[in-house]
Amino acid sequence: MMPARRKGLGPLILIAPAAVLLGVFLVLPYLNIVVMSFRMPGQGTPYGAGFTIGNYTKFFVDSFYLLQVANTLWIGLITTAICLVVGFPVAWQLARGAMRFRALAYGLVLSPLLVGIVIRSYGWTILLGNAGLINRTLTGMGLIDRPLPLMYNALGIVIALVHVFLPFMILPIMAAIQGVDPSLESAARSLGASRFTAFRRIVLPLCTPGIQAGCILVFVLSLSAYVTPSLIGGLRVKTMAVTVVDALIDTFQWPWGSALALMLSVTGALCVVIFARLTRMKWKVGRT
Amino acid sequence: MKRPVLTLYCLLVYAFLLAPILVVVGASFNAGNFLTFPPQGLSLRWYVTFFHNDVFMRAIRTSLWVAAVATVISGTIGTMAALYYVQHAGRWKEAVRIAMLAPLLLPEVLTAIALLFFVYAIGIGTTTMIGMVVGHVLITLPFVFINVSASLESFDPSWDMAARSLGAGRLTRFRRIMLPLIKPGVIGGALFAFIISFDTFTISFMLKGIGTSTLPIQLFDYLRTNFTPEAAAVSTVSIVLTLVVVIVSEKVLGLRIHRF
Repeated sequence: MMPARRKGLGPLILIAPAAVLLGVFLVLPYLNIVVMSFRMPGQGTPYGAGFTIGNYTKFFVDSFYLLQVANTLWIGLITTAICLVVGFPVAWQLARGAMRFRALAYGLVLSPLLVGIVIRSYGWTILLGNAGLINRTLTGMGLIDRPLPLMYNALGIVIALVHVFLPFMILPIMAAIQGVDPSLESAARSLGASRFTAFRRIVLPLCTPGIQAGCILVFVLSLSAYVTPSLIGGLRVKTMAVTVVDALIDTFQWPWGSALALMLSVTGALCVVIFARLTRMKWKVGRT
Repeated sequence: MKRPVLTLYCLLVYAFLLAPILVVVGASFNAGNFLTFPPQGLSLRWYVTFFHNDVFMRAIRTSLWVAAVATVISGTIGTMAALYYVQHAGRWKEAVRIAMLAPLLLPEVLTAIALLFFVYAIGIGTTTMIGMVVGHVLITLPFVFINVSASLESFDPSWDMAARSLGAGRLTRFRRIMLPLIKPGVIGGALFAFIISFDTFTISFMLKGIGTSTLPIQLFDYLRTNFTPEAAAVSTVSIVLTLVVVIVSEKVLGLRIHRF
């Protein structure tokens, strides 16, 4: 046995810079933004003197903002659901399929993560626009008379968001499926379970943590997405993150913007908690 | 192929993932004045326009500069924190991990806004680039931490003990044993931090000062008012820059970058 490791302040020097950085530039700013959300709106200045809860009452009284939050949550929910449905088979194939091109397929799934979000959203505007590639091709083939409304609406935003966040769904699910021993399925099959039953009763419950992680990641990321809704939705469809950023950049209403940003984040966090509760309950029921 | 339906389905998804990127690259060679389909011939004219566009060239320099500075800082801080996390954290391990991943778990929009108010509250403001660099350090820190701690987890303490029993001092042990072992993790984390910083939008958008736009911001501003293929040329150059970093890291240095 070696003598006990020298205790003391020595090792703390290693963590000190990170602790200072996170303490000063993450914790303090978050405390500051909470305080800011209770400040009075300013006239000609970002905020006024004194405190109020007016920013929050304004949010709850004005149905415009409640509706917008509902709209944003809805877009997030649909995006998450589509990512799950689209991503699961791909995750399965990556984890279990006997593929010669597994490395290539893995690279393909990761590739969107390496391209900036502005560029990816721009690519979708080229594809989805009224004079875009899809509409031009369809009119050229004589299939449609006028361009399909693919952009400047919720549909376009969801399509692009699914693209942007799909890797965040596929990767955790793939990791979870890789962790499930295939012999468990064989055992279930040999005991007479159908392929579907074996999947539903054995594989699905075991890879639930991966599915949950993927869903939460995609949902949270799509709530706070700014670039994609801004470029694809244009001025017609605005999500909450777009409204918040525009309120701060264009009109300098700091207290109001803070309250909006916090309400969006709190609502998102609540959804995640509810989701975690619901799925856990459901899977337990499913297993017994 | 064993399961043709599943394979076909996956191929469709891969096509979906690649489509917007390929379209951007393809559009950059369009000879026309606008993004028309089919393209009016092939040309490199928009690359020439881009290379003569001072606004974009300045933005690219700003992006590279911010990414380099942020990578060095978060590489150093993140590596030190990972060393502490794996070797000294003890019962605080889980708390340290969550704190280090916090910038990744919190919504980037909220972090960006909070940081914007804070730099004004402490009087730094956005006239210098300090705020933007701090923001980039924050969001890249988790990636350095994940990569370095992953490479440290495979580190066997008995090697360190062996060196110690042979009389090696603390510094020698760090330089001769620890550093070579964690080097792939540090380089991988730093490269990924560089890419994240180079591509990030929201943090830069909130914390940019006058004349300190990064490439993604400049591109975003351009796209709101212009429709020429120049934006596609800018995007393609940006994609190629990132690809070079990845290929160099994975082929030449033989690294596997941990993204999660």
